Amino acid sequence: MPAYTSREQAVSVFSQLFEIMLEDDAFRAIVRDEALSVRFVHTEPDFELYVDAEGVRVDGPAAPTTLAIKMSCDTADALWNGRLLMPIAVATGRIRIKGSVARVIEFVPLLRPAFDRYPALAAAAGVPTSA
Amino acid sequence: MLDTSPAEVAGPPTTSLPPQVGALRDCVRTFAQERLRPEVQRLDRADAADFDWDLVAEGHRLGLTRLVISRAHGGLGHGELGVAVALEELAAVDAGFALVFGATMLGQAPLLLSGDPALQARFLPLFSGDEPVLACNAITEELAGCDLLIPENAQYALDVMRARRDGDHYLLDGAKKFITNGRVATYATVFANIEGNPGASALTCFVVPLDSPGVELGAVADKMGYRTCLGTEMTFRGVRVPAENVIGGEGGGVVINVQQMNMARAAVAAISTGVARGALDLARQWCGERIQGGVPLYRHQFTARKLAEMSTKVDAARLLYLRAAHLADTEIPAPAYEPAVAKLFADRIAVEVAEEAMSLMGARGYVRDWGMEKYLREALGARIYEGTPEVLALAITESMYATDDDF
Ligand SMILES: Cc1cc2nc3c(=O)[nH]c(=O)nc-3n(C[C@H](O)[C@H](O)[C@H](O)COP(=O)(O)OP(=O)(O)OC[C@H]3O[C@@H](n4cnc5c(N)ncnc54)[C@H](O)[C@@H]3O)c2cc1C
Repeated sequence: MPAYTSREQAVSVFSQLFEIMLEDDAFRAIVRDEALSVRFVHTEPDFELYVDAEGVRVDGPAAPTTLAIKMSCDTADALWNGRLLMPIAVATGRIRIKGSVARVIEFVPLLRPAFDRYPALAAAAGVPTSA
Repeated sequence: MLDTSPAEVAGPPTTSLPPQVGALRDCVRTFAQERLRPEVQRLDRADAADFDWDLVAEGHRLGLTRLVISRAHGGLGHGELGVAVALEELAAVDAGFALVFGATMLGQAPLLLSGDPALQARFLPLFSGDEPVLACNAITEELAGCDLLIPENAQYALDVMRARRDGDHYLLDGAKKFITNGRVATYATVFANIEGNPGASALTCFVVPLDSPGVELGAVADKMGYRTCLGTEMTFRGVRVPAENVIGGEGGGVVINVQQMNMARAAVAAISTGVARGALDLARQWCGERIQGGVPLYRHQFTARKLAEMSTKVDAARLLYLRAAHLADTEIPAPAYEPAVAKLFADRIAVEVAEEAMSLMGARGYVRDWGMEKYLREALGARIYEGTPEVLALAITESMYATDDDF
């Protein structure tokens, strides 16, 4: 069974996740100072999130971003829940990233707090925990 | 030390390099030509187990041990492109010296891929100190060679090093062979199979400090080339490794290894390109000076044709590795096809160019003092590590039949 049954549910959880991340001073400072902008391309259900120091936008204009990260919502759920490890996800192509790999290597460790925040967010939105 | 920031590459650098990469190349070229070249004969004739820490320390001060480490961890934040052009410059003089740093980067790659800030903070800053620190990547074993590099064959690998969970640790038992830097590295990324699984089907990547009890460093292989770097046997007897030193989880080793190879093959292709270029430079110089039949050799049409073919091959090899490095710097996962094509071609032309260059020097090409035959010995080396031609062919055809979306 897919983790997300509707686009609205997925948009709500993943945009909240990055809004919470941006509330963290250290994370926001790095995103701002490094002028990082990330386009998260989610599939099944399909939607895009744009994350930069200004905030999180859903399906915003396709402005060029520093990084573009593509994964299915199931993969995102498994990743942020800790069931799928990042190096395996990227090495197997379940997560695909375009942009400067040097920037990715700097950026990915910054995402650590998302692993702590996601399970509660997903549970609150009714996403089955063992999807 | 080089003051360079990461290369932001807009497109494949076919005609000019990004400024930071160009600066890196110039600096490494000067070091290779002025500092490394005078030492090459001595390095090549030294005993198999000799290691020149002083020269390596000079490379370390240039930043060669931390090219790919992020600036946050004290590195230079270069990508594969910077690595590749730097290794071409070194290999044009001495491929073994280039591989000292290439193997270190292979040992750093799983940590970079891990995305694990704790693991990165423990190991990556080691490379930014005053003294040189090296790493190694330990895969090959006595009974398991290419089987550990071809994902479909992992299940058939024989008697692979074992890992057994013991509380919050793992115990590693087994032995590795031909590990570049094994004798001189501070830590190794070691691939072992979780006990109870066939072959290498549960291959797992561990970061192992080499001062851990139970690690024994054995004989150094007496190689025909690449003598500046040490290919070492390493035995692990009940080595306790904390579970947090696992990268990619249990069974993640095969995909980590494939990703590592896809990232590294552009750099190995650059090493082969460098070897070919070094041989070509020597042949070009010789054919310009040597008079036979009343004219310099290059004026004879047969020789001219040979030199032109050799030069074309070196240029083509370089373009292929630049494309591969560019893609490895802008896509995750790194593509399989372009790096494998680049390495297959560069490894092949390195042998062809070195062999032709040697013949153009006549008897002198066959005499060690002239430095030409060393290029042929080294050209043969890169055909073995990071994928033999047969392993590369499988990766290339696999990609030729794969389907992809247009992300
Ligand atoms: C200079 C140098 C540096 C090295 N550094 C390292 C290092 O740092 N770390 C490390 O782990 N290893 C290292 N190696 C070892 C190297 O990676 C292995 O030698 C290589 O993977 C091949 O393994 P093998 O020698 O056991 O050959 P084998 O696997 O026995 O292969 C022998 C021949 O059979 C062919 N073959 C094997 N399987 C197939 C197949 N399925 N289909 C078609 N043909 C096949 C091969 O292409 C090859 O021609 C190094 C080797 C050299 C020469």
